[in-house]
Amino acid sequence: MTVNRNPFPNGAEIGRNGFDLFSAYSCMALIREYEERVMELRTAGEVVGPVHPYIGQEAIAVGVCAALRAGDSIVSHYRGHGHALARGVSMDALTAELLGRKSGLCGGRAAALVSDPAVNLLLSSGIIGAGIPIAAGAAMTSQVRGSGDVAVVFLGDGGLGSGVVHETLLMATAQRLPLILVCEHNSYQGGTRSEEVYPDLDLTRIPLGHRMRTVSVDGNDVTAVHEAAAEAVAAARSGAGPTFVEARTYLTRFHLQFDKPSTERRPAAELAHWLDRDPLQLAHRRLLAAGTADEDLAAVARAAAERVAAAVAFARSAPWPAPSDVSTNVWAEKP
Amino acid sequence: MNELAVLDVVLEDELRRDDSLVFLATSTPPEWRREFGEARIRTCAISEQAMVGAAVGAAMTGLRPVVDLNRASFSFLVMDQLVNHAARLHYLTDGGYRAPMVVTSATRGRQQLGPQNEQCPYGVFMQIPGIRVAVPGTAEDACALLRSAVRESGPVMLFIAPELARGANLRAALTAPPVPFGEAMLRHRGDAATVVAIGGAVRPAVEGVAALAAQGIDCDLIDPRTLVPLDVEALASSLRRTGRLVLVDDGPRSGAPAQILSALYDVPGLPEALGGRVAFVCAPDSPVPSTPALEQYTWPEPQAVAAAVRRLAEPRP
Ligand SMILES: Cc1ncc(C[n+]2csc(CCOP(=O)(O)OP(=O)(O)O)c2C)c(N)n1
Ligand SMILES: [Mg+2]
Repeated sequence: MTVNRNPFPNGAEIGRNGFDLFSAYSCMALIREYEERVMELRTAGEVVGPVHPYIGQEAIAVGVCAALRAGDSIVSHYRGHGHALARGVSMDALTAELLGRKSGLCGGRAAALVSDPAVNLLLSSGIIGAGIPIAAGAAMTSQVRGSGDVAVVFLGDGGLGSGVVHETLLMATAQRLPLILVCEHNSYQGGTRSEEVYPDLDLTRIPLGHRMRTVSVDGNDVTAVHEAAAEAVAAARSGAGPTFVEARTYLTRFHLQFDKPSTERRPAAELAHWLDRDPLQLAHRRLLAAGTADEDLAAVARAAAERVAAAVAFARSAPWPAPSDVSTNVWAEKP
Repeated sequence: MNELAVLDVVLEDELRRDDSLVFLATSTPPEWRREFGEARIRTCAISEQAMVGAAVGAAMTGLRPVVDLNRASFSFLVMDQLVNHAARLHYLTDGGYRAPMVVTSATRGRQQLGPQNEQCPYGVFMQIPGIRVAVPGTAEDACALLRSAVRESGPVMLFIAPELARGANLRAALTAPPVPFGEAMLRHRGDAATVVAIGGAVRPAVEGVAALAAQGIDCDLIDPRTLVPLDVEALASSLRRTGRLVLVDDGPRSGAPAQILSALYDVPGLPEALGGRVAFVCAPDSPVPSTPALEQYTWPEPQAVAAAVRRLAEPRP
């Protein structure tokens, strides 16, 4: 079967037309390509600030965001390029932001910590745990307005160390907030392995202890993630309250890079195990088995490379902010 | 405390010297865990409030905890434990309990971490009686102040500017003996003005003052080293001679510089000696943007320090 379609009809926009594995694969490939390029650009000194690559976890952003509609809100964190792209921010504006330009999503102020009101990406916080109550607030707005919209917040397994996350879990359950917490459980918190600081690695028992509906899913299987997210979203929209989605996954590169790629070393067997379960490869194998033509999948990779190259070209030619921009927007004007 | 690696060597030395010292952080050196044991070297979840709260309790019951918060922005997560508890206990119990503990963190660097994680909150802690605040201007003083901090009788916040690592004299840093809190350091001498520079701003102030000296204008350059206690006497006696004050900081004017000025205005005769000849070379009253295109305008630069001294030195109409 040969499918002749542009995998990125609206540039970076993902998941607006429901879920199918080919589109999901395309979006994951786009994010993967993006992250590879952003790391190169960081090493070259073009990208501003630290880079926390999302490589290995793409299925989670894509599977979840494909379950959302325009009115829903999302909250991300410092490892947020994948969430932003999957939610449909402009790749051009995201890249311009990472390069510190005026026409970036946040005028160059935020670098990776982006927001985009156009797609209800409220924030990408650099403070672990802090975004979770903020997402609960967006869920509160939906509840007050009766809009049926949901709020999704992405957190790492490390986020469960933060007290305010526990406070929010309890509050969201008690108030039946239309909130979905997506916990990307990669078993690491920077250089620290989660089992060093948690009683065990079964994180689902924590939200269950707060009486929240909780599901665990293979975070590298985009279809499984999507199904879990779609159920959680449906429950939230129908007034059944919040869900905690634990998605087991792994960062196959590293936690973070500044000037040079990180020299972080993972246990070889562990890395090999996860590389074998790479979310893109998993989807690729499944698509081939279902009869998708090789050349269609190869075309996805080419289209992703072209799309990312175009975004980089856009960002490189984007203007720098003016010196006077330092102190603009500290205060909001009266509406 | 990876922003200034030499501090880890000093802390290791102190851990060896005093077995009541314990270390809490979200990541800890494996060699420390091996040498000192996991009871003393505690790798914690990302639970800053619990870490600092536990430090308070451990300090009250005989230990000397050192908590590395990593970024100074995270100090805002632990304000309740620090302000309502650590800083209050000795007073609240009329001296019955003390909480000797050290909280370390990194202030602004040239790492483009952006509006959230590039902050200099030490001015906030100057408003909290009961907490000592150390903001060293050199790697050597950072090490010396860490050594004194772990010997103090109450809570200490030690703020480290990542830029201190640049060109640091490591041998001098490692061997620096403890320095008493509340003793400023005179880094240049002259009558043209008194330049007071804090933490990471000491280096650009040194450069600005050196440039002026090359043109025959010499100033006192004072690095207070600790903001609480503040060596008001050293500052005041310099100002009585120079009559001109330039405050230099990586943080906003409304933080530590404003606090220092208010302390000086409380010294009898000093407002008159200054006669309004006060200048600030600080970060603007706005968050720190990520893009270097903007961030470059938020640092106290040597030229701005020199220009401020010249401006104050001009005879006034
Ligand atoms: C409150 C707070 N403490 C510490 C940090 C420093 N920090 C940045 S990322 C990180 C590890 C986070 O691990 P996790 O939440 O599992 O996310 P992952 O990096 O694995 O995606 C830490 C400790 C922070 N950003 N915020
Ligand atoms: Mg993690």
